[in-house]
Amino acid sequence: MQTFKLALTVIVALFIQYLFPRYLPFFQYIDLPLIVTVYVALQRAPMLGMATGCAAGLGSDAIVGGIVGVGGFSRTLIGYVVAMVSIKFALENPLMRLAVVAIASAANTVLFVGLHQMLRQEQVLEQALPHVGSWGEFGKTIGLKALGDTLAGLAVFMVLDRVFAEQRANRRMAIKRRFYE
Amino acid sequence: MAFLLLGQVALMSTNARQPGSEQSVLRTWIVTVLAPMVNVAGGALSYIKGGVASYVDLRNARQENLDLRERVQQLNDEANTLRERAAEYELLRRQLALPALAEYRQLSANVIARDASLWFRRLTIDRGTVDGVKLSMPVTTSGGIVGRVISVGLKWSVVQVITDKQAGVGAMLQSSRAMGELRGLDNARCEMKNISSSENVQEGESVVTTGLDRIYPKGLLVGVVERVEDDPNAPWHRLIIKPAAPVDRVEHVVVLLVEQRDLKMDENVK
Repeated sequence: MQTFKLALTVIVALFIQYLFPRYLPFFQYIDLPLIVTVYVALQRAPMLGMATGCAAGLGSDAIVGGIVGVGGFSRTLIGYVVAMVSIKFALENPLMRLAVVAIASAANTVLFVGLHQMLRQEQVLEQALPHVGSWGEFGKTIGLKALGDTLAGLAVFMVLDRVFAEQRANRRMAIKRRFYE
Repeated sequence: MAFLLLGQVALMSTNARQPGSEQSVLRTWIVTVLAPMVNVAGGALSYIKGGVASYVDLRNARQENLDLRERVQQLNDEANTLRERAAEYELLRRQLALPALAEYRQLSANVIARDASLWFRRLTIDRGTVDGVKLSMPVTTSGGIVGRVISVGLKWSVVQVITDKQAGVGAMLQSSRAMGELRGLDNARCEMKNISSSENVQEGESVVTTGLDRIYPKGLLVGVVERVEDDPNAPWHRLIIKPAAPVDRVEHVVVLLVEQRDLKMDENVK
């Protein structure tokens, strides 16, 4: 049931990501598959975080364009790293979760642009991708995307907390148990 | 983890090496599943948006109607002049035994999705291989060219818009016939390069396709020169081109059912 719910969440995220930029152009600054990946990774399950990142990333590559696998690679890595960090440190606080989304978004942008640069060696990067013409412009793009993802993460996390309420309660119980032991 | 990451490194490397890398099996499957859902949901959203827009438009309908009547009169006069010129052209063409300009079959299509990210300018349209669409076919509107098909499924196709950074069009200035290369820019504009700085270029001048890129037939309107940026030390102009088609908000397009071999044939004939 849990796996089905998770798969459905990834599909819905991809669907919304594909549909909405036509009507709301600012949606280009939001990466719903990444936000879902971070949410799942924050459940302290590295394998699940990684698998979600892989599925969401490859799906994202399919609808966005560019080199297939770049988004998959970056989100798989982010899913794993966020899950490992959430095991070591307490990231339960809502503010901490949003900070993680912002950092993950910035890391994802850097990885995406870096991998494109590496794989398309015959082109100067500013010819291959927009919004990265100079370091200043690149920094601005990273900042705007991180802001977009963080604001969207605020709403998406609230919805996902309801969708995965049971799992969330179990996780809290496990944390309490570990604390008292 | 290593297995998953290595798998994706292999996928990226293979994909980056292929020249037509936009057409991948994974992309075809995922978009085939998502495109019909997006088409239905988009239709519903457009219906609602259209209803609201209709109400707002009604408020200015009377004045707009008067303006349009005047415009129709002007266009009728213009059409008469052009008909006369076309007849003259046809006569001269026959006398000089020049080959006629090629005409291609057209297919209308609706835009169902666009620009899912910041990085690429893409449209998804509701026509695919079932309707005769193939890779690299040009996509236009009545205003001018929009882009070319870079990925195609049964009932959908992905179009790379001319304002995409990776898009290229062989273009020339309509009056001087000076040829250059058109590339996408960030802000719904294109830049035209390789036009010698000795050429006298005017703002507002039309830019058309050359037909030499084997994608777009010759003579299609691309846009107009918006700005001429000159560097005194450079031997070339840098022209900022405003696309004639509203590429950032286009809703309906026309696919020209022309293949590369047809364009090659045209060139041989000429």
